[in-house]
Amino acid sequence: MSKAKRRRGAFREMGIVIALAVLFAIFTALDLSFISIYNVLDIIKHSTINGLLAIGITFAILTGGNDLSIGSIFAVVIVVTGKILVAGVHSVLASLIGIAVGFLLGLVNGTLVAKLKLQPFVATLGAMSMYRGVAYVITGGWPVLKIPKEFRQMIEGTVFSYVPKSIFLLIGFAIICHIVLKYTPFGSYVYAMGGNEEATRLSGVNVDKHKILAYGMVGIGAALAGLVMLARLGTGEPTAGQGYELDAIAAAAIGGASLAGGKGTVIGSFLGAILLSTLKVGLIVTGVDTFYQYIATGIIIVLAAYFEYLQSKLYSKSLIAD
Amino acid sequence: MIRFSHVSKSFPGVKALDDVSFEVAKGEVRALVGENGAGKSTLLNILHGVHTEYEGSVEIDGQEVHFRSAQDAIEFGIAKVHQEINLIPELSVGQNITLGYEPRRGLFIDYDKLHEQANAILDRLNCRLRSEDSLKNLSAGELQMVSIAKALFHKAKVISLDEPTASLSTQEVKRLFEIIRELKANGITILYVSHRLDEIFELTDTVTVLRDGCYMGTYRVGEITREQLIKHMVGRDVSAFAVRKRPRCFTDEVVLGVKDLSVEPTFRNVSFKLRRGEILGFAGLVGSKRTDVVRAIFGADRKTGGEVYIRGHKVEISSPEEGLSHGIGLIPEERKTQGFVKTLNNADNMALTSLRKFIRRGFVSHAAKDENCEKLGRAVNLNITDPSYPTQKLSGGNQQKVVLAKWLASDADILIFDEPTKGVDVGAKEEIYGLIEDLVAQGKSVIMVSSELPEIIGMSDRVLVMSEGRIVKELDHTELTEERILYYAMGEQQ
Repeated sequence: MSKAKRRRGAFREMGIVIALAVLFAIFTALDLSFISIYNVLDIIKHSTINGLLAIGITFAILTGGNDLSIGSIFAVVIVVTGKILVAGVHSVLASLIGIAVGFLLGLVNGTLVAKLKLQPFVATLGAMSMYRGVAYVITGGWPVLKIPKEFRQMIEGTVFSYVPKSIFLLIGFAIICHIVLKYTPFGSYVYAMGGNEEATRLSGVNVDKHKILAYGMVGIGAALAGLVMLARLGTGEPTAGQGYELDAIAAAAIGGASLAGGKGTVIGSFLGAILLSTLKVGLIVTGVDTFYQYIATGIIIVLAAYFEYLQSKLYSKSLIAD
Repeated sequence: MIRFSHVSKSFPGVKALDDVSFEVAKGEVRALVGENGAGKSTLLNILHGVHTEYEGSVEIDGQEVHFRSAQDAIEFGIAKVHQEINLIPELSVGQNITLGYEPRRGLFIDYDKLHEQANAILDRLNCRLRSEDSLKNLSAGELQMVSIAKALFHKAKVISLDEPTASLSTQEVKRLFEIIRELKANGITILYVSHRLDEIFELTDTVTVLRDGCYMGTYRVGEITREQLIKHMVGRDVSAFAVRKRPRCFTDEVVLGVKDLSVEPTFRNVSFKLRRGEILGFAGLVGSKRTDVVRAIFGADRKTGGEVYIRGHKVEISSPEEGLSHGIGLIPEERKTQGFVKTLNNADNMALTSLRKFIRRGFVSHAAKDENCEKLGRAVNLNITDPSYPTQKLSGGNQQKVVLAKWLASDADILIFDEPTKGVDVGAKEEIYGLIEDLVAQGKSVIMVSSELPEIIGMSDRVLVMSEGRIVKELDHTELTEERILYYAMGEQQ
């Protein structure tokens, strides 16, 4: 089976795991209490929202596109779900409606990109503003208050007395997306169109349809992240999620997703989100001024990009040596 | 004026020019003719400083020159008016003419002087265009005028024109010829590359023939007939390897019928039939719209009119997806941009047309794709059948085999090859010919678009010759000669 490909993919993910280990070692050296099960859970909890967004946006990035509107989709899902929860709709049904709303907004983005042939960056920049406006209009600018306890318990309640249920949402979404990308024709087409859209089209693939669907997946990721946020805060803010798209893109890029398309994995983006959270939690625990977080995050992103470059060079060499 | 002495130039695997020597006199209009790949462009590229490494020498006015860059050549007075015109649409006519050499006043461009200089040149060309005009709405012919004005601005002594009339209207061609005659009267030497023999006989004084990188001779236009000229251009043995090694196997069963197919404004009313087991060649010059016709049949481009029949049933094909569902496959000309996906490995590229076949228990099986890759890799004699090997790292010929394998994996039984051996080395060429023969022996049908005449002649059961978007002649394999195909391809009567 795909030996070289596996070797290469694993190499990349090993790289993040090593980077994570190094970060852990540094933070533990600075503060022995850092390495505890509570901190590890905290890190995963902290990464849930960004992780869901990052896994979702990976689909758009793989097609060679991007989605700047995820923070706004996130907000629309929060206020819509919040409103119907407050109106007395059952938690499960309300969640499903929230997910459907995210999916639909994603499909709209996909349609703008695939059918109107707009540049993904510009199309979703427009969508970002439109959806944000929709979120404000729905609540009149006010937050949705008094989110029912049942809903909050369903998503943010803990099992084993400390593990928040939302972690399983993150892990479950990651597993499903991994399977979708790796073991369905849709996933294969997402990779193929990111590498060469015209060659994929000329192979008899309905590129438009699958591209629209890919943006739909981005919307689902944003919706799930929105549900987690709503459950955590207990209020639905129409201002929620501003700037989240950049964290999600950063996580995907650290995880090895190429913004040119065709390269990247769910596991990589997931680990990228974990790495960013480790950094943030670690800096807080060790008492480093929050301002430095930005600097550290930036350095990690640049290092990851350089690592990617070195790795592809090494890979080419290994092929010639064969 | 210009003297080429023993000029040779090699590219990896090919000798593009082989000991070419000839002279061109000052003020002469010299045609340069030869088949695709004869070495015309290579020779011009040496003269224009694009290729800087070559053997032999180039003299201009008795002085040996060896240009280090295209810029060098321009400054020396060697200008070209290119096939794809190299102008910047956002700038005005005058800005384009003076680009890089704008008159200045201090730090700033002196626009008054710029327009004055440019208009003086446009006047010399008796041109209605003004330096201040925007380039945006100009026709192909007007753009060419700007290119010529630019050459004059650089005080060109030699101007080469490569297929200058390809996109011009009849009026514009007439105007261009007048200007070329004026340039000649001013002592400027013209090198004129064209496939259109009519133009050569109308315009030029002398014609130099290149064939397979070799100099075949220079003839005065009045002293040579059209037929003789074609003979000089193609008079080599048909390459030995492009021959049918198996018995012909076409039947009477029509698998594909095309009736009055049009993609306005590119081509119009193309009709033909393809039979089961047949290799149907599409011959014609570059730009005769053969690729556009096959793309429309496959669904890569939308047709604007006409009908397509598969085994007698009318079908509507408006996307490659529908093309594939009707059993049509296209192996495109541009391998890198259209043939394979550079980020995918061999197994994934070969599975792209037919992923649903590799689904086991609801999911795509990578083992099944790998197996498919190894099986097809052997069938097409791929040098690296490793499923995980990136297709991008293969040689051109092997990449082509991957693209072919992709279509073998599908159920397509009408396969269209567009320039199947372009950029493919000789050994792989022969293998690809063998594979095409295998296909028809299995009862599939093949359309082969090719600009390589030996390939068309050696492989086809029947040939359709296209010229300027129309099928101008149908030839049976018994009537195929290079002379005859070129005769029709060059737009001789219908």
